[in-house]
Amino acid sequence: MTALQVDPTMKGNQVNISIVEDHQRLKLVDSVAHLETQGLYVWFGNRMILADINLAFPENSVTALIGPSGCGKSTFIRVLNRMHEFIPGAALAGKVFYEGRDIYEQDVDPVDIRTQVGMVFQKPNPFPTMSIKDNVLSGLRLAQIPFSNPDEIVETCLKKASLWNETKDRLDASAQSLSGGQQQRLCIARALAVNPKVLLMDEPCSALDPGSTRHIEETIRDISKDMTVVIVTHNMQQALRVSDYTAFFLALDGNPGQIVEAGLTKDVFKNAKDSRTHDYVNGLFG
Amino acid sequence: MVETQEITNKSHPEPIRLGREKSRTPSDKAFSGTIVIAALSSLAILVAILIYLASSSWPVLQKEGFDFITGSTWINSSANPDEQTFQIWPMLYGTFLNSMLALVIAVPVSILLAIFIVFIAPDRLSRTLTVLVDVLAAIPSGIIGLWGFLVFTPVAEGWSKLLNQYFFLIPFFRNDQDQFARSPFIAGWVLAIMITPIITVVAREVLSQTPQELLDAARGLGGSLWGAVKFVALPHARGGIVGGVMLGLGRALGETIAIYFVLNLIFEKVNYFQILNPQGGAIASMIVAKFGEATPDEIRALLGAGLVLFLMTLVVNLIANWIVARSVREKIA
Amino acid sequence: MNTQTLDTSTMKPQYPWKKSRPTVVIANSLIVVIPMSVYAFFFFFTDLPGALIFIAIFLPIQIAMAVIMTIFALGKRRVGDAVLSVLSVTAFSLVLALLGSVLLSVAARGLPAMRFSFLTQNNIYISPTTELTYGGVGHALLGTLTVVAIGTVIAVPLGIASAIYITDMKGRLAGFVRFIVQAMSGVPSIVAGLFILAAFILTDFVGFSALTGGLAYAILMLPTVARTSEEVLKLVPKELRDAATALGSSRARVIMRIVLPTAKAGIITAVILGVARVVGETAPLLLTTSNTNGTNLNPFKDPVATIPVYIFQFLGSGYESSIQRAWGAAFVLMIVVAILFALTRVFSPKGKAR
Repeated sequence: MTALQVDPTMKGNQVNISIVEDHQRLKLVDSVAHLETQGLYVWFGNRMILADINLAFPENSVTALIGPSGCGKSTFIRVLNRMHEFIPGAALAGKVFYEGRDIYEQDVDPVDIRTQVGMVFQKPNPFPTMSIKDNVLSGLRLAQIPFSNPDEIVETCLKKASLWNETKDRLDASAQSLSGGQQQRLCIARALAVNPKVLLMDEPCSALDPGSTRHIEETIRDISKDMTVVIVTHNMQQALRVSDYTAFFLALDGNPGQIVEAGLTKDVFKNAKDSRTHDYVNGLFG
Repeated sequence: MVETQEITNKSHPEPIRLGREKSRTPSDKAFSGTIVIAALSSLAILVAILIYLASSSWPVLQKEGFDFITGSTWINSSANPDEQTFQIWPMLYGTFLNSMLALVIAVPVSILLAIFIVFIAPDRLSRTLTVLVDVLAAIPSGIIGLWGFLVFTPVAEGWSKLLNQYFFLIPFFRNDQDQFARSPFIAGWVLAIMITPIITVVAREVLSQTPQELLDAARGLGGSLWGAVKFVALPHARGGIVGGVMLGLGRALGETIAIYFVLNLIFEKVNYFQILNPQGGAIASMIVAKFGEATPDEIRALLGAGLVLFLMTLVVNLIANWIVARSVREKIA
Repeated sequence: MNTQTLDTSTMKPQYPWKKSRPTVVIANSLIVVIPMSVYAFFFFFTDLPGALIFIAIFLPIQIAMAVIMTIFALGKRRVGDAVLSVLSVTAFSLVLALLGSVLLSVAARGLPAMRFSFLTQNNIYISPTTELTYGGVGHALLGTLTVVAIGTVIAVPLGIASAIYITDMKGRLAGFVRFIVQAMSGVPSIVAGLFILAAFILTDFVGFSALTGGLAYAILMLPTVARTSEEVLKLVPKELRDAATALGSSRARVIMRIVLPTAKAGIITAVILGVARVVGETAPLLLTTSNTNGTNLNPFKDPVATIPVYIFQFLGSGYESSIQRAWGAAFVLMIVVAILFALTRVFSPKGKAR
């Protein structure tokens, strides 16, 4: 058993980490990593936000990213779909592999990546000037993916997002007429319409009521049969309910964020190898 | 057991109502009074403009009736005052035509420029362009008029000749006088230059307020920059942009000097669509043109024309401000 | 305890998305080079007019190249971006060209007229054939200053008062006053002149003079001063006002002693913007101050020359020397505007310097 130690006398660029021997890399023996980072470092300007992130996401699974606020989880998932580069001053080093290819290579089209790696944001953001139906289809239109069966697509996606029953009679109503929870499910439907192979979710339920949260968790379990889901969450119970794997991020005292422990969810929660992990999942800090 | 006392409505004292302080010192009252009067001065001025223009021009307006704005005759005579006729339709239509031409040129250019500044240009270029647009807005109309007549007209004449040469099949571009200077086409260009900064500034302001989360959503779904602009930014900015366009229109309607030398005013014949012909109208320019040698009744007629112009710009501006205010309110809600 | 130090100092931030692939670089160069070469070819080797080549040949080829190269280098999805870029750069170039033309013309044609005598003399003895070393805009400069000063003296207190009413006094009519001020900002400059003409001059109350010009200018300045002041006063923190009131100041005192001084820079900006708005307006002056060739020191009586009207007068006269005088006056006016513009930026570097 090793412990994470931080030496306060250490200066800026040097960070103490513990060697987490068996679970440094998240790997389940039988399956292949669908999405994987190797030696990932992330900066904003000159400030390092994440250091040496090595994380692999198996195909068709749900991985929860947990950890206190501010340790870089949201930044991390934006690296995965190439949205990190929109922020002025953003920089990174290392590799991010999707289906075997480094997405930051020269020949890769970021727009293409984003149609395969979708994202749902923390605050629901349906397009206010469009109807519910048009919102669902908007992803396809934006990505310029041709489609010939709009009604079918709308129905399928709204059903997957558990929103069909509540909206089937008013598909042409403005998206603004929906409640917060409904709007978030609409955003999920919108993201699903593009048929991504990976779905990144940044605390999707943090602002929602329990009913919507339940619906969304059902949706996650449902879609993870056909796609890889990565969900950032502050809610331990949610991570337990929804995810197959969990990675615990921690950033201490001005140091960049790092992964302390990662593995099967039940292992991380019930048999944490690191005392910090144990403390965090039991609510002793956070 | 403790006895409790029933509380009835009658047994407790009247609440003291807190509200606006009514008691103020005399100096405070004087201050408030002064401010109020000064503030209402705007209203007084606006109303006074309407009243004076209307009452001064009333005799002529009454005599002409509706023909004032629908007719095309203008006869002034100090010898025979009763035979005078004042009708402004050619000028009214001309004002409208010039403004439409100006909008056709200015609106796409302004919106594209605004999109460029907000979404495409790198930071430094963006800021420089914003300053340049402000500079353009600051150039006085008299100088634009000077430049428009002496520098721009020869160039625009060349363009007109080309248009006429290659597109003469379209009635729009026919020219029956073999003279291309001082046409509505050129006036439209000059007006466009004047109103482009107005529209660009408003469009830029509204576009830059597009919520980042919506742009993120569009990009996250695999949209390109144009996709985000088309599906998110422009629909969001629609109200503001329309408002800005109308403000530009209001300016174009009332512009006098910029086109005074650039447009050949023909007072009694309307040029409906031959924009390359040196024949046009503009109410504001007419007022200046005729003012110097006007007979007393003619001055009244000019005041009447000014009234018509004022009402037009007032309506356009009120609608514009209402549209902009409404779109801002929607965003906040 | 098994701990290890991770030395992160060797890792340097990188920007993999900023590197351009060779394909993209080539494509971008071709997008620029080919259309320009074609334009140059037609321009130098044929007699076709430049404007025609631009519209009929250059633009279509530019758009076509952008589309084709984009599909080649980046894929079909980005075509919209490419077309948008071409069109918006065209728009920006057009505006830049026109703006540049105006500024350069004024500078090039107005500068030769600049001499001390030009700035100080008037035109009383000048005829169209007089040499340019005689005569000048002195009287017009003085006139403009006078008219603007009168306008400012009237418009600034009224404008600031309106702003105070809207923000600090929150009278029941506050929204209404705001609305009225907005309506006033749409008054065309010629209508302002017409009003003063009708109400004061034609009624024989006053004659053509700097005073009537100042009144007309005041109408045009008021909305600008009021609106900018309103925005500036809104920026004064509520806590400041509350603190002063809690200390026992009367409302008047709060406003005059606390709020206004705090907003001083912004108010100055408002005044400068108001002045800049009117300093070049010709139309109202044609109807109120009329014009003269001599220097009139009495603001209340008799016409006064002003720079915009000076330009108007000499542009309309048609003689070569007169045109040069007009450009000279235009140059002077641009300098004045430039100074005001620079002052605006000095006093409100971050705020709404519209």
